[in-house]
Amino acid sequence: MEGLIAFWSESGIANFTSGQLLMMGVGCLLLYLAIAKKFEPLLLLPIGFGAILANIPNGGFTEEGGLLYFAYHVGIETGVFPLLIFMGVGALTDFGALIANPKMLLLGAAAQFGIFATLIGAIALNWVPGFEFSMTDAAAIAIIGGADGPTAIFLASKLAPDLLGAIAVAAYSYMALVPLIQPPIMRLLTTESERKIKMEQLREVSKKEKIIFPMMVLGLTILFLPAATPLVGMFCLGNLMKESGVVDRLSSTAQNELINIVTIFLGLAVGSKLSAEQFLQMETLGILVLGAVAFSIGTAAGVLMAKLMSKLSGGKINPLLGAAGVSAVPMAARVVNKVGLEANNQNFLLMHAMGPNVAGVLGSAVAAGVLLAVLG
Amino acid sequence: MASISEQLYDALGIMILGMSLVFVFLSILIVAMKLVALKFGPAPKCGSPVTERQPQSSQSAVSPLMAAVITAAIHQHRKKA
Repeated sequence: MEGLIAFWSESGIANFTSGQLLMMGVGCLLLYLAIAKKFEPLLLLPIGFGAILANIPNGGFTEEGGLLYFAYHVGIETGVFPLLIFMGVGALTDFGALIANPKMLLLGAAAQFGIFATLIGAIALNWVPGFEFSMTDAAAIAIIGGADGPTAIFLASKLAPDLLGAIAVAAYSYMALVPLIQPPIMRLLTTESERKIKMEQLREVSKKEKIIFPMMVLGLTILFLPAATPLVGMFCLGNLMKESGVVDRLSSTAQNELINIVTIFLGLAVGSKLSAEQFLQMETLGILVLGAVAFSIGTAAGVLMAKLMSKLSGGKINPLLGAAGVSAVPMAARVVNKVGLEANNQNFLLMHAMGPNVAGVLGSAVAAGVLLAVLG
Repeated sequence: MASISEQLYDALGIMILGMSLVFVFLSILIVAMKLVALKFGPAPKCGSPVTERQPQSSQSAVSPLMAAVITAAIHQHRKKA
């Protein structure tokens, strides 16, 4: 009988708290979104499962010595996982479209307004009772507007580790929702005739230009913004491996096996931060709202900048391209292409939108560097 | 802890600083990219069609007209056989 009681007292049923059950529900919701709705499944599936594992009573996953504990401390607290992912993203990114049309960098810059506007929004939310965001918290939340998962996780792990779970979930959820969030804003801010604008074909780009580009970006970062060099440096390393063409094995590992392995552990480790006591807070609700605001403002700022550039260039630039400035590669570029095709079924903007899209990745890395330099 | 309005003021400062830094950084990059394109960009387009067309005409020693004539002749020859 004693054995039975001991067994019972160790069982999950006897130890569940309502918070843990609720968080397992959140984990299942993330799994549902990943599997049934195909929302960023590569990240949301491991994050959702991690959330379930982290909330098992007596499971010990997140206690010292547990798997998720180590995954978090080795990979995220140190910033190693997001940086390795960033290297893989660099190896996957083709800067050709941007090198052919460097002006698109301005769109990638304008869309970062979402980040900085949300910084103010997060602080303003402190007027609402129940919210108490410090400046570093606000900066970590604001980076959701950069629409770049690894950058958001990197910055959150440095500035506001307690909010990391909610920030990562918000960032990846909204990235999956880009096709729903962006089009209404894009249609609202552009006219039918503007959306019909066809762009000139992009020029060819030489191999030398593609090899010099990552070195140039790194050089500028070293000179002006060393705080951003972890992110930009790893990104440029990945890109140089791809473009140099002499280390195909390394480049292929970075963009396949390595990024896949790291993604599994990054997802699990982020999921481990979805414990009841950290996630079931008023702040989480605020983070979700601010994230959506950040995305919307970023999109709007990008489109408005593109409108301005379109006017100045005499109607050669389709303002829709601005929406691609909020990284979220390649989802945002696809959305631009889709909305462009709705206005004119012969207007293929995908290649043109890749320019501002990859510019957005650089832009959010630079913005993260600025926030780190000022607040870190 | 500083009052909320003071924090807002700080946030506004970070916004202005951040946006201008992002713009300045990426603008410098634009200039640098244009310089690199001047030096290392692909050969100007006006030259390429000429070089492309030239080998076409010089490589095929048989003119299109002659080719048509030969084809017709072979066709006729086969018909007879």
